[in-house]
Amino acid sequence: MNGRPSPFDRAVRACQWAIAGLTLVFITAIVLWIVHLIRTAWRLGDVASASIGISLVAIPLFLTLLGVGLSVFWGLLRGGDRR
Amino acid sequence: MPDPSLQRDAALFAPIAQTGRGFYFTLVVLGIAILWGAVAYWTQFEYGLGVTGLQQPVSWGFYVTNFVFFIGISHAGTLISAILRLSKAEWRRPITRMAEVITVMVLFIGAGQILVDLGRPDRMMNIILYGRYQSPLLWDATSISAYLFASTIYLYLPLIPDIAILRDHLGKHRFLYAVLAMGWTGTPRQQKILNRAIAILAIMVIPIAVSVHTVVSFVFSMTIQPAWHSSIFGPYFVAGAIFSGIAALIVAMAVIRRIHRLQAYLKPIHFRYLGYLLLVMTLLWFYLTFAEYLTGYYGNGPEEMKVFWSKFTGPFWPTFWGMVALNFVIPMALLVRLQHHAVGKTVAASACIVAGMWLERFNIIVPTLSNPRLPFPETMYWPTWVEWGETAGSFGLFILFYVLFVKFFPIISIWEIREGREVGLKEVEERLLTYLPDGTEPEPARRHTKVPT
Repeated sequence: MNGRPSPFDRAVRACQWAIAGLTLVFITAIVLWIVHLIRTAWRLGDVASASIGISLVAIPLFLTLLGVGLSVFWGLLRGGDRR
Repeated sequence: MPDPSLQRDAALFAPIAQTGRGFYFTLVVLGIAILWGAVAYWTQFEYGLGVTGLQQPVSWGFYVTNFVFFIGISHAGTLISAILRLSKAEWRRPITRMAEVITVMVLFIGAGQILVDLGRPDRMMNIILYGRYQSPLLWDATSISAYLFASTIYLYLPLIPDIAILRDHLGKHRFLYAVLAMGWTGTPRQQKILNRAIAILAIMVIPIAVSVHTVVSFVFSMTIQPAWHSSIFGPYFVAGAIFSGIAALIVAMAVIRRIHRLQAYLKPIHFRYLGYLLLVMTLLWFYLTFAEYLTGYYGNGPEEMKVFWSKFTGPFWPTFWGMVALNFVIPMALLVRLQHHAVGKTVAASACIVAGMWLERFNIIVPTLSNPRLPFPETMYWPTWVEWGETAGSFGLFILFYVLFVKFFPIISIWEIREGREVGLKEVEERLLTYLPDGTEPEPARRHTKVPT
Protein backbone atom coordinates (compact mmCIF):
# COMPACT_ATOMS: atom_id res chain seq x y z
CA MET A 1 0.00 0.00 0.00
CA ASN A 2 1.72 3.21 -1.09
CA GLY A 3 -1.21 5.47 -0.06
CA ARG A 4 -1.82 6.62 -3.64
CA PRO A 5 -5.46 6.31 -4.72
CA SER A 6 -6.14 3.59 -7.27
CA PRO A 7 -7.40 4.46 -10.79
CA PHE A 8 -10.84 3.26 -9.64
CA ASP A 9 -10.82 5.67 -6.70
CA ARG A 10 -9.61 8.51 -8.89
CA ALA A 11 -12.38 7.89 -11.42
CA VAL A 12 -14.94 7.77 -8.61
CA ARG A 13 -13.66 11.04 -7.16
CA ALA A 14 -13.68 12.69 -10.59
CA CYS A 15 -17.33 11.70 -11.11
CA GLN A 16 -18.25 13.01 -7.66
CA TRP A 17 -16.63 16.36 -8.44
CA ALA A 18 -18.45 16.38 -11.78
CA ILE A 19 -21.81 15.92 -9.99
CA ALA A 20 -20.99 18.79 -7.62
CA GLY A 21 -19.86 20.92 -10.57
CA LEU A 22 -23.02 20.23 -12.55
CA THR A 23 -25.16 21.13 -9.54
CA LEU A 24 -23.27 24.41 -9.25
CA VAL A 25 -23.70 25.10 -12.97
CA PHE A 26 -27.43 24.28 -12.82
CA ILE A 27 -28.15 26.63 -9.92
CA THR A 28 -25.91 29.37 -11.32
CA ALA A 29 -27.78 29.13 -14.62
CA ILE A 30 -31.17 29.48 -12.89
CA VAL A 31 -29.99 32.46 -10.85
CA LEU A 32 -28.54 34.12 -13.96
CA TRP A 33 -31.79 33.45 -15.81
CA ILE A 34 -33.82 35.12 -13.07
CA VAL A 35 -31.44 38.10 -13.08
CA HIS A 36 -31.78 38.25 -16.87
CA LEU A 37 -35.59 38.35 -16.56
CA ILE A 38 -35.36 41.23 -14.07
CA ARG A 39 -33.05 43.15 -16.39
CA THR A 40 -35.38 42.52 -19.35
CA ALA A 41 -38.40 43.68 -17.35
CA TRP A 42 -36.50 46.74 -16.12
CA ARG A 43 -35.28 47.64 -19.60
CA LEU A 44 -38.78 47.34 -21.10
CA GLY A 45 -40.50 49.07 -18.18
CA ASP A 46 -42.54 45.87 -17.87
CA VAL A 47 -43.74 45.61 -14.24
CA ALA A 48 -40.25 45.15 -12.89
CA SER A 49 -41.63 45.03 -9.34
CA ALA A 50 -43.16 41.56 -9.95
CA SER A 51 -39.84 40.23 -11.15
CA ILE A 52 -37.94 41.74 -8.25
CA GLY A 53 -40.46 40.50 -5.69
CA ILE A 54 -40.23 36.91 -6.92
CA SER A 55 -36.48 37.05 -7.32
CA LEU A 56 -36.02 38.21 -3.73
CA VAL A 57 -37.50 34.89 -2.65
CA ALA A 58 -36.32 32.62 -5.45
CA ILE A 59 -32.63 33.52 -5.64
CA PRO A 60 -31.85 33.08 -1.90
CA LEU A 61 -33.88 29.85 -1.95
CA PHE A 62 -31.87 28.35 -4.79
CA LEU A 63 -28.62 29.48 -3.17
CA THR A 64 -29.60 27.95 0.17
CA LEU A 65 -30.46 24.65 -1.51
CA LEU A 66 -27.14 24.76 -3.31
CA GLY A 67 -25.38 25.50 -0.03
CA VAL A 68 -27.00 22.52 1.68
CA GLY A 69 -26.11 20.22 -1.22
CA LEU A 70 -22.51 21.33 -1.50
CA SER A 71 -21.93 21.34 2.26
CA VAL A 72 -23.04 17.71 2.40
CA PHE A 73 -20.84 16.86 -0.58
CA TRP A 74 -17.82 18.56 0.94
CA GLY A 75 -18.51 17.35 4.48
CA LEU A 76 -18.97 13.70 3.50
CA LEU A 77 -15.84 13.61 1.37
CA ARG A 78 -13.74 15.23 4.11
CA GLY A 79 -15.28 13.35 7.02
CA GLY A 80 -15.17 9.90 5.49
CA ASP A 81 -12.10 8.39 7.12
CA ARG A 82 -12.40 4.66 7.57
CA ARG A 83 -13.45 3.69 11.06
CA MET B 1 -25.20 -11.14 1.17
CA PRO B 2 -22.43 -12.55 3.40
CA ASP B 3 -22.83 -9.98 6.22
CA PRO B 4 -25.14 -11.63 8.79
CA SER B 5 -26.33 -8.23 10.03
CA LEU B 6 -27.83 -7.64 6.59
CA GLN B 7 -29.48 -11.06 6.34
CA ARG B 8 -32.42 -9.82 8.33
CA ASP B 9 -33.27 -7.27 5.65
CA ALA B 10 -32.38 -9.48 2.69
CA ALA B 11 -35.86 -8.93 1.23
CA LEU B 12 -34.98 -5.27 0.68
CA PHE B 13 -31.96 -6.21 -1.46
CA ALA B 14 -33.79 -8.87 -3.46
CA PRO B 15 -35.33 -6.53 -6.09
CA ILE B 16 -31.83 -5.22 -6.85
CA ALA B 17 -29.93 -8.48 -6.68
CA GLN B 18 -32.36 -10.64 -8.66
CA THR B 19 -34.09 -9.93 -11.95
CA GLY B 20 -37.10 -12.02 -12.82
CA ARG B 21 -39.07 -12.39 -16.03
CA GLY B 22 -41.70 -10.04 -14.65
CA PHE B 23 -39.21 -7.18 -14.82
CA TYR B 24 -38.63 -7.66 -18.55
CA PHE B 25 -42.32 -8.18 -19.21
CA THR B 26 -43.04 -4.87 -17.42
CA LEU B 27 -40.39 -3.15 -19.53
CA VAL B 28 -42.01 -4.42 -22.73
CA VAL B 29 -45.50 -3.26 -21.69
CA LEU B 30 -44.19 0.15 -20.62
CA GLY B 31 -42.10 0.33 -23.79
CA ILE B 32 -45.24 -0.09 -25.91
CA ALA B 33 -47.00 2.74 -24.03
CA ILE B 34 -43.94 4.99 -24.36
CA LEU B 35 -43.62 4.15 -28.05
CA TRP B 36 -47.26 5.13 -28.57
CA GLY B 37 -46.55 8.40 -26.79
CA ALA B 38 -43.43 9.00 -28.89
CA VAL B 39 -45.31 8.37 -32.16
CA ALA B 40 -48.11 10.68 -30.97
CA TYR B 41 -45.66 13.45 -30.12
CA TRP B 42 -43.76 13.01 -33.37
CA THR B 43 -47.02 13.32 -35.31
CA GLN B 44 -47.89 16.48 -33.40
CA PHE B 45 -44.39 17.85 -33.90
CA GLU B 46 -44.60 17.18 -37.63
CA TYR B 47 -48.12 18.47 -38.30
CA GLY B 48 -48.78 20.86 -35.38
CA LEU B 49 -51.51 20.96 -32.75
CA GLY B 50 -54.15 20.54 -35.47
CA VAL B 51 -53.84 16.77 -35.08
CA THR B 52 -55.11 17.06 -31.49
CA GLY B 53 -58.59 17.92 -30.30
CA LEU B 54 -57.35 21.32 -29.12
CA GLN B 55 -58.97 24.28 -30.86
CA GLN B 56 -60.22 27.77 -30.02
CA PRO B 57 -61.42 28.42 -27.38
CA VAL B 58 -60.42 25.08 -25.76
CA SER B 59 -56.69 25.49 -26.08
CA TRP B 60 -55.85 23.50 -22.94
CA GLY B 61 -57.07 19.92 -22.80
CA PHE B 62 -55.43 16.68 -21.78
CA TYR B 63 -51.92 18.14 -21.66
CA VAL B 64 -52.65 20.79 -19.06
CA THR B 65 -54.92 18.36 -17.20
CA ASN B 66 -51.98 15.95 -17.05
CA PHE B 67 -49.66 18.77 -15.99
CA VAL B 68 -51.82 19.76 -13.01
CA PHE B 69 -52.50 16.11 -12.17
CA PHE B 70 -48.85 15.04 -12.19
CA ILE B 71 -47.68 18.09 -10.25
CA GLY B 72 -50.42 17.30 -7.73
CA ILE B 73 -49.29 13.69 -7.39
CA SER B 74 -45.80 14.99 -6.68
CA HIS B 75 -47.06 16.18 -3.30
CA ALA B 76 -47.15 12.52 -2.32
CA GLY B 77 -43.59 12.44 -1.56
CA THR B 78 -41.50 15.16 -0.27
CA LEU B 79 -44.28 16.98 1.54
CA ILE B 80 -45.76 13.92 3.24
CA SER B 81 -42.32 12.52 3.98
CA ALA B 82 -41.12 15.83 5.45
CA ILE B 83 -44.20 16.19 7.64
CA LEU B 84 -43.90 12.62 8.92
CA ARG B 85 -40.16 13.04 9.54
CA LEU B 86 -40.53 16.32 11.42
CA SER B 87 -43.41 14.98 13.49
CA LYS B 88 -41.30 11.88 14.30
CA ALA B 89 -44.05 9.54 13.13
CA GLU B 90 -42.21 6.23 13.59
CA TRP B 91 -44.47 4.35 11.18
CA ARG B 92 -43.05 6.49 8.35
CA ARG B 93 -39.82 4.48 8.06
CA PRO B 94 -40.82 2.00 5.31
CA ILE B 95 -42.81 4.51 3.26
CA THR B 96 -40.85 7.76 3.08
CA ARG B 97 -38.57 6.75 0.23
CA MET B 98 -41.41 5.40 -1.89
CA ALA B 99 -43.11 8.75 -1.48
CA GLU B 100 -39.99 10.77 -2.26
CA VAL B 101 -39.31 8.78 -5.43
CA ILE B 102 -42.85 9.47 -6.68
CA THR B 103 -42.21 13.20 -6.25
CA VAL B 104 -38.99 13.35 -8.22
CA MET B 105 -40.11 11.06 -11.05
CA VAL B 106 -43.51 12.63 -11.50
CA LEU B 107 -42.19 16.21 -11.48
CA PHE B 108 -40.16 15.47 -14.60
CA ILE B 109 -43.25 14.09 -16.32
CA GLY B 110 -45.47 16.95 -15.12
CA ALA B 111 -43.09 19.67 -16.26
CA GLY B 112 -42.71 17.83 -19.59
CA GLN B 113 -46.45 18.23 -20.28
CA ILE B 114 -45.96 21.95 -20.79
CA LEU B 115 -43.34 21.27 -23.45
CA VAL B 116 -45.71 18.83 -25.16
CA ASP B 117 -48.47 21.46 -25.08
CA LEU B 118 -46.35 23.99 -26.97
CA GLY B 119 -47.68 24.47 -30.48
CA ARG B 120 -44.31 25.70 -31.70
CA PRO B 121 -41.60 23.94 -29.66
CA ASP B 122 -38.99 25.44 -32.00
CA ARG B 123 -39.73 28.78 -30.33
CA MET B 124 -39.24 27.43 -26.81
CA MET B 125 -36.08 29.48 -26.28
CA ASN B 126 -38.19 32.63 -26.57
CA ILE B 127 -39.84 31.74 -23.25
CA ILE B 128 -36.45 31.57 -21.59
CA LEU B 129 -34.98 34.63 -23.26
CA TYR B 130 -37.97 36.96 -23.25
CA GLY B 131 -40.23 35.61 -20.48
CA ARG B 132 -42.24 38.12 -18.48
CA TYR B 133 -42.18 37.62 -14.76
CA GLN B 134 -45.66 39.00 -14.21
CA SER B 135 -46.97 35.84 -15.89
CA PRO B 136 -47.96 33.10 -13.41
CA LEU B 137 -46.61 30.59 -15.94
CA LEU B 138 -43.10 31.78 -15.14
CA TRP B 139 -43.82 31.72 -11.40
CA ASP B 140 -44.68 28.08 -12.06
CA ALA B 141 -41.41 27.46 -13.84
CA THR B 142 -39.50 28.97 -10.91
CA SER B 143 -41.33 27.17 -8.13
CA ILE B 144 -41.35 23.82 -9.92
CA SER B 145 -37.59 24.10 -10.56
CA ALA B 146 -37.03 24.84 -6.87
CA TYR B 147 -39.27 21.94 -5.81
CA LEU B 148 -37.60 19.54 -8.23
CA PHE B 149 -34.14 20.51 -7.04
CA ALA B 150 -35.10 20.38 -3.35
CA SER B 151 -36.92 17.06 -3.79
CA THR B 152 -34.01 15.51 -5.65
CA ILE B 153 -31.59 16.42 -2.86
CA TYR B 154 -34.15 15.34 -0.27
CA LEU B 155 -34.45 11.95 -1.98
CA TYR B 156 -30.72 11.60 -2.48
CA LEU B 157 -29.38 12.48 0.99
CA PRO B 158 -31.22 9.76 2.96
CA LEU B 159 -30.28 7.36 0.17
CA ILE B 160 -26.51 7.80 0.71
CA PRO B 161 -26.09 5.32 3.64
CA ASP B 162 -28.07 2.70 1.69
CA ILE B 163 -25.98 3.26 -1.43
CA ALA B 164 -22.88 2.70 0.71
CA ILE B 165 -24.35 -0.60 1.90
CA LEU B 166 -24.92 -1.62 -1.72
CA ARG B 167 -21.38 -0.52 -2.64
CA ASP B 168 -19.89 -2.65 0.13
CA HIS B 169 -22.10 -5.73 -0.07
CA LEU B 170 -23.92 -6.09 -3.38
CA GLY B 171 -21.05 -6.91 -5.73
CA LYS B 172 -22.51 -5.29 -8.86
CA HIS B 173 -22.77 -1.76 -10.25
CA ARG B 174 -19.92 -1.02 -7.87
CA PHE B 175 -18.69 2.06 -9.74
CA LEU B 176 -22.16 3.63 -9.77
CA TYR B 177 -22.67 3.01 -6.06
CA ALA B 178 -19.13 4.17 -5.20
CA VAL B 179 -19.74 7.48 -6.98
CA LEU B 180 -23.16 8.08 -5.44
CA ALA B 181 -22.12 6.99 -1.93
CA MET B 182 -19.91 10.11 -1.72
CA GLY B 183 -17.33 8.32 0.38
CA TRP B 184 -19.84 7.40 3.08
CA THR B 185 -18.33 5.22 5.79
CA GLY B 186 -20.71 6.13 8.58
CA THR B 187 -18.31 8.17 10.73
CA PRO B 188 -19.95 10.30 13.44
CA ARG B 189 -18.96 13.43 11.52
CA GLN B 190 -20.67 12.18 8.37
CA GLN B 191 -23.77 11.19 10.32
CA LYS B 192 -23.94 14.62 11.90
CA ILE B 193 -23.62 16.37 8.54
CA LEU B 194 -26.24 14.18 6.90
CA ASN B 195 -28.76 14.39 9.74
CA ARG B 196 -28.43 18.17 9.87
CA ALA B 197 -28.90 18.53 6.10
CA ILE B 198 -31.96 16.23 6.09
CA ALA B 199 -33.51 18.24 8.93
CA ILE B 200 -32.89 21.56 7.14
CA LEU B 201 -34.35 20.22 3.89
CA ALA B 202 -37.38 18.72 5.64
CA ILE B 203 -38.22 22.19 6.94
CA MET B 204 -37.47 23.98 3.67
CA VAL B 205 -39.35 21.60 1.44
CA ILE B 206 -42.76 22.09 3.09
CA PRO B 207 -43.26 25.76 2.11
CA ILE B 208 -41.75 25.05 -1.31
CA ALA B 209 -44.25 22.23 -1.90
CA VAL B 210 -47.16 24.37 -0.76
CA SER B 211 -45.98 27.21 -3.00
CA VAL B 212 -45.78 24.92 -6.03
CA HIS B 213 -49.42 23.97 -6.13
CA THR B 214 -50.56 27.39 -5.03
CA VAL B 215 -48.70 28.83 -7.99
CA VAL B 216 -50.15 26.15 -10.29
CA SER B 217 -53.60 27.32 -9.19
CA PHE B 218 -52.60 30.94 -9.95
CA VAL B 219 -52.27 29.98 -13.62
CA PHE B 220 -56.07 29.70 -13.54
CA SER B 221 -57.22 32.01 -10.76
CA MET B 222 -55.23 35.04 -11.93
CA THR B 223 -57.40 35.12 -15.06
CA ILE B 224 -61.00 36.38 -14.99
CA GLN B 225 -62.36 33.28 -16.67
CA PRO B 226 -65.65 32.02 -15.16
CA ALA B 227 -65.15 29.42 -12.38
CA TRP B 228 -61.41 30.10 -12.26
CA HIS B 229 -61.23 33.55 -10.69
CA SER B 230 -61.46 32.34 -7.10
CA SER B 231 -59.45 33.20 -4.01
CA ILE B 232 -59.69 29.68 -2.58
CA PHE B 233 -58.07 28.10 -5.62
CA GLY B 234 -54.66 28.09 -3.91
CA PRO B 235 -55.68 26.06 -0.83
CA TYR B 236 -58.12 24.03 -2.98
CA PHE B 237 -55.29 22.95 -5.28
CA VAL B 238 -52.88 22.26 -2.40
CA ALA B 239 -55.48 20.12 -0.60
CA GLY B 240 -56.28 18.29 -3.84
CA ALA B 241 -52.59 17.70 -4.46
CA ILE B 242 -52.00 16.20 -1.03
CA PHE B 243 -55.19 14.16 -1.45
CA SER B 244 -54.14 12.68 -4.81
CA GLY B 245 -50.55 12.34 -3.57
CA ILE B 246 -51.50 10.16 -0.61
CA ALA B 247 -53.71 8.05 -2.87
CA ALA B 248 -50.91 7.55 -5.41
CA LEU B 249 -48.53 6.63 -2.60
CA ILE B 250 -50.92 3.96 -1.28
CA VAL B 251 -51.30 2.46 -4.77
CA ALA B 252 -47.51 2.40 -5.22
CA MET B 253 -47.07 0.80 -1.79
CA ALA B 254 -49.60 -1.92 -2.59
CA VAL B 255 -48.02 -2.75 -5.96
CA ILE B 256 -44.47 -2.90 -4.57
CA ARG B 257 -45.59 -4.84 -1.52
CA ARG B 258 -47.19 -7.49 -3.69
CA ILE B 259 -44.57 -7.74 -6.44
CA HIS B 260 -41.54 -7.75 -4.14
CA ARG B 261 -43.22 -9.61 -1.27
CA LEU B 262 -42.57 -6.87 1.28
CA GLN B 263 -45.55 -7.69 3.49
CA ALA B 264 -43.25 -7.79 6.52
CA TYR B 265 -42.33 -4.14 6.00
CA LEU B 266 -45.52 -2.64 4.60
CA LYS B 267 -48.05 -3.85 7.11
CA PRO B 268 -51.81 -3.27 7.29
CA ILE B 269 -51.15 -0.67 9.98
CA HIS B 270 -49.28 1.52 7.47
CA PHE B 271 -52.23 1.35 5.11
CA ARG B 272 -54.64 2.02 7.97
CA TYR B 273 -52.80 5.15 9.13
CA LEU B 274 -52.53 6.46 5.57
CA GLY B 275 -56.20 5.51 5.12
CA TYR B 276 -57.14 7.74 8.07
CA LEU B 277 -55.16 10.59 6.50
CA LEU B 278 -56.94 9.91 3.23
CA LEU B 279 -60.32 10.01 4.97
CA VAL B 280 -59.51 13.43 6.44
CA MET B 281 -58.39 14.66 3.02
CA THR B 282 -61.59 13.26 1.43
CA LEU B 283 -63.66 15.35 3.79
CA LEU B 284 -61.46 18.40 3.28
CA TRP B 285 -61.67 18.02 -0.52
CA PHE B 286 -65.46 17.77 -0.34
CA TYR B 287 -65.66 20.81 1.93
CA LEU B 288 -63.52 22.94 -0.40
CA THR B 289 -65.37 21.70 -3.51
CA PHE B 290 -68.71 22.47 -1.88
CA ALA B 291 -67.54 25.96 -0.85
CA GLU B 292 -66.16 26.66 -4.31
CA TYR B 293 -69.33 25.65 -6.18
CA LEU B 294 -71.74 27.18 -3.67
CA THR B 295 -69.98 30.55 -3.93
CA GLY B 296 -70.25 30.48 -7.73
CA TYR B 297 -73.89 29.36 -7.63
CA TYR B 298 -74.90 31.98 -5.08
CA GLY B 299 -73.23 34.76 -7.12
CA ASN B 300 -75.38 33.66 -10.09
CA GLY B 301 -73.17 35.43 -12.65
CA PRO B 302 -74.37 34.52 -16.18
CA GLU B 303 -70.96 33.28 -17.42
CA GLU B 304 -70.28 31.47 -14.15
CA MET B 305 -73.66 29.72 -14.32
CA LYS B 306 -73.05 28.51 -17.88
CA VAL B 307 -69.97 26.68 -16.65
CA PHE B 308 -71.81 25.52 -13.52
CA TRP B 309 -74.70 23.93 -15.41
CA SER B 310 -72.43 22.48 -18.09
CA LYS B 311 -70.87 20.45 -15.27
CA PHE B 312 -73.98 19.60 -13.30
CA THR B 313 -76.43 18.71 -16.05
CA GLY B 314 -74.75 19.70 -19.32
CA PRO B 315 -72.25 17.89 -21.53
CA PHE B 316 -69.70 17.49 -18.72
CA TRP B 317 -72.03 15.78 -16.27
CA PRO B 318 -70.37 12.33 -16.62
CA THR B 319 -66.94 13.66 -15.68
CA PHE B 320 -68.33 15.89 -12.91
CA TRP B 321 -70.48 13.28 -11.19
CA GLY B 322 -67.83 10.66 -11.85
CA MET B 323 -65.41 12.90 -9.97
CA VAL B 324 -67.82 13.26 -7.02
CA ALA B 325 -68.37 9.49 -6.87
CA LEU B 326 -64.68 8.60 -7.17
CA ASN B 327 -63.35 11.31 -4.83
CA PHE B 328 -66.01 11.33 -2.16
CA VAL B 329 -68.81 8.77 -2.23
CA ILE B 330 -66.78 5.59 -2.79
CA PRO B 331 -63.78 6.59 -0.60
CA MET B 332 -66.09 7.58 2.26
CA ALA B 333 -67.85 4.23 2.10
CA LEU B 334 -64.53 2.36 2.05
CA LEU B 335 -62.46 4.37 4.53
CA VAL B 336 -64.92 4.99 7.31
CA ARG B 337 -64.20 1.57 8.88
CA LEU B 338 -60.66 0.27 8.51
CA GLN B 339 -60.41 -2.25 11.34
CA HIS B 340 -60.66 -5.13 8.88
CA HIS B 341 -59.30 -5.48 5.33
CA ALA B 342 -57.43 -2.19 5.69
CA VAL B 343 -55.12 -2.91 2.74
CA GLY B 344 -57.86 -3.80 0.27
CA LYS B 345 -60.11 -0.93 1.28
CA THR B 346 -57.44 1.78 1.23
CA VAL B 347 -56.04 0.57 -2.09
CA ALA B 348 -59.50 0.47 -3.69
CA ALA B 349 -60.29 3.95 -2.34
CA SER B 350 -56.91 5.25 -3.50
CA ALA B 351 -57.31 3.88 -7.02
CA CYS B 352 -60.70 5.64 -7.20
CA ILE B 353 -59.19 8.88 -5.91
CA VAL B 354 -56.30 8.86 -8.40
CA ALA B 355 -58.83 8.53 -11.24
CA GLY B 356 -61.20 10.99 -9.59
CA MET B 357 -58.53 13.63 -9.14
CA TRP B 358 -57.58 13.37 -12.81
CA LEU B 359 -61.25 14.02 -13.61
CA GLU B 360 -61.23 16.93 -11.17
CA ARG B 361 -58.35 18.57 -13.03
CA PHE B 362 -60.18 17.98 -16.32
CA ASN B 363 -63.38 19.47 -14.85
CA ILE B 364 -61.57 22.59 -13.75
CA ILE B 365 -59.89 23.22 -17.09
CA VAL B 366 -62.09 22.11 -19.97
CA PRO B 367 -65.67 23.23 -19.07
CA THR B 368 -64.45 26.79 -18.40
CA LEU B 369 -62.61 26.96 -21.71
CA SER B 370 -65.66 25.48 -23.46
CA ASN B 371 -67.79 28.32 -22.05
CA PRO B 372 -65.44 31.31 -21.97
CA ARG B 373 -66.30 34.88 -21.06
CA LEU B 374 -65.56 35.97 -24.63
CA PRO B 375 -68.43 35.51 -27.12
CA PHE B 376 -67.45 32.10 -28.47
CA PRO B 377 -70.18 29.50 -29.04
CA GLU B 378 -70.05 26.58 -26.59
CA THR B 379 -67.43 24.17 -27.87
CA MET B 380 -66.88 20.54 -26.94
CA TYR B 381 -63.42 19.10 -26.60
CA TRP B 382 -62.76 15.59 -27.85
CA PRO B 383 -59.19 14.34 -27.52
CA THR B 384 -57.75 12.48 -30.49
CA TRP B 385 -55.45 9.44 -30.45
CA VAL B 386 -52.54 11.87 -30.17
CA GLU B 387 -53.57 13.10 -26.72
CA TRP B 388 -54.46 9.57 -25.58
CA GLY B 389 -51.07 8.36 -26.82
CA GLU B 390 -49.18 11.15 -25.12
CA THR B 391 -51.07 10.48 -21.88
CA ALA B 392 -50.33 6.74 -22.08
CA GLY B 393 -46.70 7.50 -22.84
CA SER B 394 -46.45 9.88 -19.87
CA PHE B 395 -47.86 7.33 -17.45
CA GLY B 396 -45.62 4.67 -19.00
CA LEU B 397 -42.55 6.85 -18.61
CA PHE B 398 -43.37 7.63 -14.99
CA ILE B 399 -43.84 3.95 -14.15
CA LEU B 400 -40.66 3.06 -16.07
CA PHE B 401 -38.63 5.58 -14.06
CA TYR B 402 -40.09 4.13 -10.88
CA VAL B 403 -39.39 0.53 -11.90
CA LEU B 404 -35.79 1.40 -12.80
CA PHE B 405 -35.29 3.14 -9.47
CA VAL B 406 -36.51 0.04 -7.65
CA LYS B 407 -34.10 -2.03 -9.76
CA PHE B 408 -31.06 0.00 -8.72
CA PHE B 409 -31.84 1.32 -5.23
CA PRO B 410 -33.64 0.05 -2.13
CA ILE B 411 -37.21 1.31 -2.27
CA ILE B 412 -37.44 0.95 1.51
CA SER B 413 -34.76 2.76 3.48
CA ILE B 414 -32.58 0.03 4.96
CA TRP B 415 -30.72 2.25 7.40
CA GLU B 416 -33.93 3.87 8.65
CA ILE B 417 -35.43 0.46 9.35
CA ARG B 418 -32.28 -0.54 11.23
CA GLU B 419 -32.20 2.78 13.04
CA GLY B 420 -35.81 2.14 14.05
CA ARG B 421 -34.83 -1.20 15.59
CA GLU B 422 -31.60 -0.03 17.22
CA VAL B 423 -32.34 3.55 18.25
CA GLY B 424 -35.97 4.38 17.52
CA LEU B 425 -37.49 2.09 20.13
CA LYS B 426 -35.46 3.73 22.91
CA GLU B 427 -36.21 7.20 21.56
CA VAL B 428 -39.95 6.54 21.51
CA GLU B 429 -39.84 5.27 25.08
CA GLU B 430 -37.92 8.35 26.22
CA ARG B 431 -40.26 10.66 24.34
CA LEU B 432 -43.32 8.94 25.76
CA LEU B 433 -41.96 9.45 29.27
CA THR B 434 -41.70 13.19 28.67
CA TYR B 435 -45.40 13.32 27.79
CA LEU B 436 -46.34 11.82 31.16
CA PRO B 437 -46.68 13.97 34.29
CA ASP B 438 -43.75 12.43 36.19
CA GLY B 439 -41.43 12.17 33.15
CA THR B 440 -38.16 14.04 32.77
CA GLU B 441 -36.97 15.79 29.64
CA PRO B 442 -34.32 13.66 27.86
CA GLU B 443 -31.46 14.90 25.69
CA PRO B 444 -32.56 15.89 22.17
CA ALA B 445 -33.28 12.66 20.32
CA ARG B 446 -31.13 13.35 17.26
CA ARG B 447 -27.95 13.44 19.35
CA HIS B 448 -28.37 9.74 19.98
CA THR B 449 -29.22 8.95 16.42
CA LYS B 450 -26.70 6.79 14.69
CA VAL B 451 -26.99 5.73 11.08
CA PRO B 452 -26.13 2.01 10.99
CA THR B 453 -23.88 0.90 8.16
